[in-house]
Amino acid sequence: MTVPMPTSSRKYDLNFARWVRDNVAGGDKMNMCMQCGTCSGSCPIGTEMEDGPRKLFMMIRAGMKEEVLSSNSVWECTSCYRCVVRCPRGVPVTYLMQGLAALASKEGYAPKVENNYFSRYFWKSVELTGKTDERLVPTAYFFSFGLIEGIKRSLGNLKIAFNMAKAGRMHIGLPHRIKDTKGLKAILAKAAQIEDQKS
Amino acid sequence: MMSKKKKMTYYPGCSSQGSGRHLDESIRAILPDLGVDVVDIDDWNCCGASVGNIGGGPLPNLALTGRNLALAQEQGNQDIVTGCAACYLNTHGGNEKIKADVKKRRDVNDALGEAGLSYDYDLDVHHVMEVIVNDIGMEEVEKQATNKLKGLKVAGWVGCQTVRPFAGTETGGKYATYEDPTFLDEITEACGAEVTDFAPKTNCCGGSVAVMKPEKTLHLMKTILDAAVESGADVVSTPCPLCQTNLEMYQDAINKEFGTNYNMPVVFPSQLIAVAMGKDKEKDAGLQRQTIRSKKLEDMAK
Repeated sequence: MTVPMPTSSRKYDLNFARWVRDNVAGGDKMNMCMQCGTCSGSCPIGTEMEDGPRKLFMMIRAGMKEEVLSSNSVWECTSCYRCVVRCPRGVPVTYLMQGLAALASKEGYAPKVENNYFSRYFWKSVELTGKTDERLVPTAYFFSFGLIEGIKRSLGNLKIAFNMAKAGRMHIGLPHRIKDTKGLKAILAKAAQIEDQKS
Repeated sequence: MMSKKKKMTYYPGCSSQGSGRHLDESIRAILPDLGVDVVDIDDWNCCGASVGNIGGGPLPNLALTGRNLALAQEQGNQDIVTGCAACYLNTHGGNEKIKADVKKRRDVNDALGEAGLSYDYDLDVHHVMEVIVNDIGMEEVEKQATNKLKGLKVAGWVGCQTVRPFAGTETGGKYATYEDPTFLDEITEACGAEVTDFAPKTNCCGGSVAVMKPEKTLHLMKTILDAAVESGADVVSTPCPLCQTNLEMYQDAINKEFGTNYNMPVVFPSQLIAVAMGKDKEKDAGLQRQTIRSKKLEDMAK
């Protein structure tokens, strides 16, 4: 684990904090952070993070855009919202983490991040059918690590799949689809277009 | 409690057609008798869960909720109810965002216009647990739970997104606290079962990260199982479909990783209520859908 330290040769983007404030959901409240660390201390998966949310917010303030968007921390968040309800300053930490992950994904900082793959296959399923397919999204995700790894991971989950199918909790057959897939596609395309115009 | 029957629009969510079928079945089985009639949102879509924001971007993700709200509005002005924690989080949270933010409201409606839809933002979105506490009332559950689950020991595991971050807010119904919610244990008691001393009631199972990278979250689930077993529980009860599936399906992996021997059934409170109301154990309570079954609970069921 490398700890990003400020050095004179390091590049800083001094507009980054302002950009986060204006463009990431909850960013307007980031200024309220007093670095107490309640968020990082409350995080169930903080031990897996290179930088907890507290440190990440300080890095944003320092303009360390590259390091923030490359940090694994935004991807480890399980969205449990404990930091949100505990923050004594009302910073919506989880929302900020999700917003930063979305930004990292969009800006190409996370080409090989597992959650990024998963999120994309999840969204494909939603775009095409209007629903999450609990079989196809994980399977596509497993195979995103290559054929061998895909087979390995799928086989590793075979017993779970078998048990779920036996209990009638794995849908058999074509994916469920909403009736108006065309309408949904148009809505999502328009929403993406509006969002792109803003950034 | 409720003087006359309430009507609500029901949002089942994707898990209702797969891993969470027994949640959906048991909710549909108990609500009408408890005074709430539900009609599904016609042609509902996915809520975006925890990763839609990343996969699709914030506004397209919000538009998913916008479409569900617009469709619900077309069916009348009844409030929406959902049993899934992620569906609730996105739909309730998205709805409040649309209500509060003029710009978001305009953007979402611009997008919805592409399919001839619009949303005028006057619906409210509730969680089934909130409806049980605030609208139905624990006394009513207790009254109708005539097939008391005597001797069944239940560890109440609330999880995260059912209560966080909205259960303590005005619009979230102010029905539970974030650190020590009591409603789940009250449901257990209303069903005549016994509450065990279970501390990690709002611990996280890893959510969707558990699906992607189980190796990083197995220890989170082990903590929950350790405490449940130590408390002497026969079953764990949780309102969240992802919590239920994760804690059930990863027990083999946990046993392998930590050398434990867990085989703990994980059920929904709505299943407990269905059994206690004397409903059919398969059709209504969906007990055959457990991959780890509780013989004790099944023997009590009709």
